Amino acid sequence: MSYHFTILGPLDNPLFTHEFGTSRSGGDGVSRFTTAERALNPFILHSALDIVEEVQWGPSTSSGSAPMYLKHIDKYQNNFISCWITGGNVKFLLLTRPRDEALGLTSGGGQRGSLAGGRGALGGQGVYNPTSPATEEAVKNFFVDVYEGWVKTIMNPFYAVGNGDVVKSPVFRARVAQAAKKYL
Amino acid sequence: MTPSQDATPLPLQPPQYSATADSSIILLKQRPSPATTLDSLPYRRSNPSLSTLFASTASLSGSHPGSGTATPTTSVVPGSVFSPGSRQNGTQSPGGLPLGLSDKYRNLIQRAFAPHVAVLADADTEALLRGKGLEGGFLQLLRPFGESVTGKVTIRDSVGASRSWDDFGVRFVGVADGLGLPTVPGRSPELRIDTANGQRDGGRPSSSSTRPRTRTGGNVPQIEELVERHLRFSEESQHHGMANDYLDHRDIGPQGESSSSPFYTLYLRRLLSGLPIVPHETFAHPVACVIAVSSRNPDPTEELRRLYARQHDGDLRLPQWVENEYLRYYVLVHEEETGDIAKSNQMFEKMKRHFGLHCHLLRLKSQQCIPSDDDSVALPACEWISAGEEIDEIRKHETADDITNPTPYLPDSDVTAIRTFVRELVAQSVVPNMERMVATWNEQVLARRRGLSGRFMSLSKRWTPFGSSRNSSSPTVGSSNSNYDSLQGFYRPDAPEAQMRKLADYCFMLRDWKLALSTYDILRTDFNNDKAWRYYAGAAEMAALSALMSTAPMSSKTRTENIDSWIEAASYSYTDRQRSAAPYYALRTLALGLELLRLRGSSAADDAALWASRILETNLVGDVGHALFTERVSACYAARTGIGSMKLGSRKRKAAMWSVMAAENWLKLNKALQAEKCLDRALMLYDVNTENGEGVVKLPMQQMQAFINEIRQQILALRLANRGYHDGEDEGTEVEQSLMVEEATETLDKSPRGNRKSLIGAAAPPIDVGPLSPMLERREGEEKKDDQFE
Repeated sequence: MSYHFTILGPLDNPLFTHEFGTSRSGGDGVSRFTTAERALNPFILHSALDIVEEVQWGPSTSSGSAPMYLKHIDKYQNNFISCWITGGNVKFLLLTRPRDEALGLTSGGGQRGSLAGGRGALGGQGVYNPTSPATEEAVKNFFVDVYEGWVKTIMNPFYAVGNGDVVKSPVFRARVAQAAKKYL
Repeated sequence: MTPSQDATPLPLQPPQYSATADSSIILLKQRPSPATTLDSLPYRRSNPSLSTLFASTASLSGSHPGSGTATPTTSVVPGSVFSPGSRQNGTQSPGGLPLGLSDKYRNLIQRAFAPHVAVLADADTEALLRGKGLEGGFLQLLRPFGESVTGKVTIRDSVGASRSWDDFGVRFVGVADGLGLPTVPGRSPELRIDTANGQRDGGRPSSSSTRPRTRTGGNVPQIEELVERHLRFSEESQHHGMANDYLDHRDIGPQGESSSSPFYTLYLRRLLSGLPIVPHETFAHPVACVIAVSSRNPDPTEELRRLYARQHDGDLRLPQWVENEYLRYYVLVHEEETGDIAKSNQMFEKMKRHFGLHCHLLRLKSQQCIPSDDDSVALPACEWISAGEEIDEIRKHETADDITNPTPYLPDSDVTAIRTFVRELVAQSVVPNMERMVATWNEQVLARRRGLSGRFMSLSKRWTPFGSSRNSSSPTVGSSNSNYDSLQGFYRPDAPEAQMRKLADYCFMLRDWKLALSTYDILRTDFNNDKAWRYYAGAAEMAALSALMSTAPMSSKTRTENIDSWIEAASYSYTDRQRSAAPYYALRTLALGLELLRLRGSSAADDAALWASRILETNLVGDVGHALFTERVSACYAARTGIGSMKLGSRKRKAAMWSVMAAENWLKLNKALQAEKCLDRALMLYDVNTENGEGVVKLPMQQMQAFINEIRQQILALRLANRGYHDGEDEGTEVEQSLMVEEATETLDKSPRGNRKSLIGAAAPPIDVGPLSPMLERREGEEKKDDQFE
């Protein structure tokens, strides 16, 4: 299971990018994208913005306040995209690429998935399901942690999101890595 | 690099190069080997008839009046007067199409499902026509004229309303053409006898064994091969500066007409050409048979009887699941020069007394006509030939030299006579007959099935096993009360289900979408109950298509509830159910479904894109098809426009992404032209989106920009490679040149084909050194600065 996490500013400009693999179930936390997949990831994330905007501005599905966590919103081939949107129109996009076994592409293979799409989500058929409660919960926890770090980062008076500044803070990166290790 | 890549010799191509000095000067400097002069020659340039062939097909495929983008510059065939492109702006344009969409594909589809008319001629007629230079005999003579009936054809639908169509046509086919699919039960391949060849016995075994097979379509690899040839030709002609505006779309818009490539149209057209005769659909089953005898024949009546008998229950009988009682149409072919017109007239009077309206006296000249004759007209090109046939045609033209152009010519009077004949056949016999059949079946079969008793019957049929044998101990119990022969896998033609299917297909061919839809819908449930999966898939497919073909507005709810599930069911049943895998039909379902959905405007565009990506995911197509359909996904997303000032709900980014991927796919196939077109379109889409339109396009993410720059560079490298550095328009390519030369010398002693293979790889080295190369004129300096971002 490989992940590609990107924070996009209001003008679709990337503010932060982090790539990691699962740390669950014996994963080593290293992503397993092939070169071709890695080159495509930004395109996939960028194209998901179409859907994000539609959900963001479209009629609200939940009554009352609009949710920040938009859950699984888009899919391109075997890449699943989850989104969290902040009050400042900054989007957190998480691209999940399950291993082939978890997609039922290859027969066999142990159930070594992570918690998100891992034991719970794999269910009986062993097929990754992005909308299963376990997956959604794990991704949500990850986003909540990242959001906490993000809020602290943008409180820094020398950092302005609006200018499209790239987040360089090593502390923030460490926090993202930590959250990833903890939940995904 | 040398021009040798342009002139990649085709397989089965005899070497027929002649030395032209100018193009080989450069390469002689680079690699002075005799091999280079051999394969460096643009032999196609010396063959105008071939380029005409490519261009004429392409102009057919890209035909849209007034678009003017697909005009071939090469010598225009005299037959282009009949070019069907001029008839496309018919009466049938449905109102309310969204901006930028044309109903080109709807027209294509409704013309694709045309009634099939079998053609059977006696030996004398065939001999006469071979004397005129038509190797294919009577069928070859009639075929192009059937595709477009002159004048309007008026069709009455089931409620009695008439409507005129000016793009109606029929397909003339050989008696046993189309029996090709290997899954057809209980047929041996030697029964596929062509009419023409069947009669002149085994004198030319090779032609009689290959011909009928190629006339059957439904072969996806062949379609791919054909489109690949067209693509290759366009690349080469581009680089040779020949036919400069051959399919040259410089004005690329983010959506609309120009976003559909002519090669995609060609692909679809060939997908729908030469429908095979199969049990589960009756489009290719003949609705009529033309039986022709020559006036040379001493006893025409006897000959007619003999031909009828052969065809009705003799050796040319179609399989038993084909309805045999279709219309027979009798033609007396009179020879102007040698025949006695009085005798022919007398004979024709006799025929008229016997057969009534369904006969015709066709007067033809017997001597061969050459292009330089007065009022000689070239036989128009067939538009709906199968891919295999077109490949054969191209091969024939490639091997022929330009003096003996194999296109046959006819005198003007013959052409007029045939036109009149076809018009009479279609307007007075075929169409009225089909209307009558539809009315009869509608009354006798459909009404009964629809009525109260019919519903009760189908219910009781469903519940009988419940009463008789609850645990279905023997497998025959279930099928005993259904008309479906589950062992052989078909319905007998006189079964109500088969007749209803025929009714629905007739309605579809006569463009009565409403009755077709309701009939298919009933059939769907019946076939489902009988577990006739192939039939079920066919009914679901056509139900979806006829619902989409009708121009009536449709709520998005019915669309998602019915049509999506029908397409889903059809594609699933065509591919996955038990042993009945028919990927061709699944591809047809998805491709046509996506095109028609795309026409439904922006709300349906998502669905269209979904089906297009389904095609890609299920691997129904090969490499060329993959690239084409990737492009198509992009076009589907681009068709979805947003609402309001913010363009909410538009899919520009997705469209752009798929365009980039299409560019990548084309690049892998070495098609620089197509790749560049896709890339330009992608950048245009991105540009609109990011709204900093002036000057250079800058993508929001560096990796994306880098990726696109890299593709751009690869395209440049490929183009230079293809062009062989002719023009020297690009300054300072020494680095690459040296690399290329090294690469080329390695492969000197290989066959030309192997040579080409290796050059595909050879495009790679300059890519890897990309950032060092001075060829980065497209990249801005400021971007280089932040290359090391992160």
